[in-house]
Amino acid sequence: MMQIFKSIPENMEANLYLPSMGTITQTHNLTKKEKWFEIQMPETHSFSYNPGQFVEVSLFGVGEAPISITSAMKNPGLFEMTIRDVGVLTEKIHALNSGDLIGIRGPFGNGFDLKKFKGKDVLIVAGGIGLVPIRSLIHTILNDRKSYGRLIILYGTKSSQDLLYKSELDQWETHPGIEFQMTVDQPSPDWHGIVGVITTLIPSVTLDLENTVAAIVGPPVMYKFVLLSLLTKGLSDENIYLSLERRMKCGVGKCGHCQINHSLVCQDGPVYHYPELKKLQEALK
Amino acid sequence: MKQIFPLTFMTHNDIPHWISHLQKIENVIAPHKNGINSFSFGKVSDPKCVILNYDRTLSSIKKYFLPPKETLFSFSTDGKETTSSKVEPINAIFLGVHNYDLEAVFRLDHNFLSGHAESQYLTRRQGALFIGVSYTPDEWHFSNSVLKDGEPNHSGGFDLFLHEIEDGYLLETLTESGQNLMKGFPLPEFDGDIPKQQSFNAHIDGGFEKVTDVFSRAWDSPVWESYAEKCVGCGTCNLVCPTCFCFNVEDEVDLDLKTGNRIRTQDGCMLRSFSEVAGGEIFRNQKAARMRHRLYRKFKYISQETGESWCVGCGRCSAYCTAGISIVDIVNDLIHDSNREIGA
Ligand code: SF4
Ligand code: SF4
Ligand code: FES
Repeated sequence: MMQIFKSIPENMEANLYLPSMGTITQTHNLTKKEKWFEIQMPETHSFSYNPGQFVEVSLFGVGEAPISITSAMKNPGLFEMTIRDVGVLTEKIHALNSGDLIGIRGPFGNGFDLKKFKGKDVLIVAGGIGLVPIRSLIHTILNDRKSYGRLIILYGTKSSQDLLYKSELDQWETHPGIEFQMTVDQPSPDWHGIVGVITTLIPSVTLDLENTVAAIVGPPVMYKFVLLSLLTKGLSDENIYLSLERRMKCGVGKCGHCQINHSLVCQDGPVYHYPELKKLQEALK
Repeated sequence: MKQIFPLTFMTHNDIPHWISHLQKIENVIAPHKNGINSFSFGKVSDPKCVILNYDRTLSSIKKYFLPPKETLFSFSTDGKETTSSKVEPINAIFLGVHNYDLEAVFRLDHNFLSGHAESQYLTRRQGALFIGVSYTPDEWHFSNSVLKDGEPNHSGGFDLFLHEIEDGYLLETLTESGQNLMKGFPLPEFDGDIPKQQSFNAHIDGGFEKVTDVFSRAWDSPVWESYAEKCVGCGTCNLVCPTCFCFNVEDEVDLDLKTGNRIRTQDGCMLRSFSEVAGGEIFRNQKAARMRHRLYRKFKYISQETGESWCVGCGRCSAYCTAGISIVDIVNDLIHDSNREIGA
């Protein structure tokens, strides 16, 4: 049914596009290109989120960009994000430090539906910067470890300089509740780990196919190959979730920028169940 | 119960007096001549300049609810102060609106009401009254191929409606608001029927039912590429479309560098930059893919949820296309191409 304007809806927000001001409470340079930020939203602003959601981050006079939340929900109003420096806006954000103000709208998008993961073995496949959003899911699982089965994390980057959250990766390697493997594609001489693209890690993992749910996040080129090897392994479509990166602008389903086929990524995504995603011809091309 | 108001009659000479009467009630926005063969909606100052007999305006009345450029809020660049821009209800009488343009407003309503209701659009949308006028379809109009009630004299949704006849207009009153507009301007009743509709010259073969059918399997059609070859990717078809609403958001900084505005501007999916993702990848890089997206938005994506065509058949994108591409031709070719495939 087409909705026609009669009167102003009661629940209408005063201005969907006006950010709230968050305060940067901690920062940390992860690599040459990626910087981590912890943000505290004002108490007046009720801010809670699901793993896999994103926010729109603003600097006034520069612009706004969609950024994934990288933390698990803990104290109200507190969240973390990791930002890759890819342009003017992100460069200026990188110059910010503790105590600085930053404009935040959101959280937006659906995030991972934890009901689908609880009680199951969870296989996480993260390529490159895809570790940023999926870390929110990893932390959520670790905070409630007994509600989940095995936690298998496969992580691949181009080179060892690109590895994110290095001290955390070290902890994951020895963590009794995590089966962790990583690989780099173009190793430097000091790299002693596995070499190759992310799919190299998949064949040797043993999975309880009936009881495993996979979450995949990475650059678009990675999806096809990871999907192929997971499906070859026997995992069914039903047990696969992916998160998509698209140029979100408004975050509220109005501007049309994030649309793939009939789906607005900012509303229906960024996390998609693979059987749904398969219906979107534009999604994985 | 729906009230039936009597039909009345107005001569051509009555029209300017009537507009003056309406102006005493509210601002009147109506079509004006703009150059030799071009028309545009504008606020009426001289009622004699209003043109009710026009083919189409370059831009539709959507510009009053969704301006091509608007400030969303102002800011100080240090982030310490942000102020939402004040948005006012339009409170105006839109006079001389064609059926398809009101249908288009209803589609914009749907977009800005569904999900997160948007205050900018909806606030402006308040206080709008619509007076329609019948028209003679030219080579581009095709509203009855896509709309359930697309006839040039279909008055549903309007407050008042003018049916053009030989020596003047029949005035149909449809709502109480419409009736109120006529208080103090008595007209003789007309004893007779509303004249027959004018017929269309452009048609989609098989109408919207066929459109729905063909768009369920037109994805891989070679027709997209055959039209994309001619398309120059200028985005005019988006800009003139009364149901296109996509926008871009950017910041403008004042000369003192201390304050500025976050503004939104009209954007269009036919422009190459529209689907650029962070890092520079353009995921609808081919013109054929962009054209397909535009038409799927008009004929399938929102239509499958609402049951309505998101193209209202105004013909603007065809009439003003830089490359002379007609949307009716594209759709008819898709239909013929799919018929060939299934051997029909
Ligand atoms: S797609 Fe073309 S014909 Fe249809 S409503 Fe838009 S401008 Fe008019
Ligand atoms: S107006 Fe014509 S040439 Fe320009 S983008 Fe649209 S279809 Fe292409
Ligand atoms: S980001 Fe604007 S519609 Fe999704």
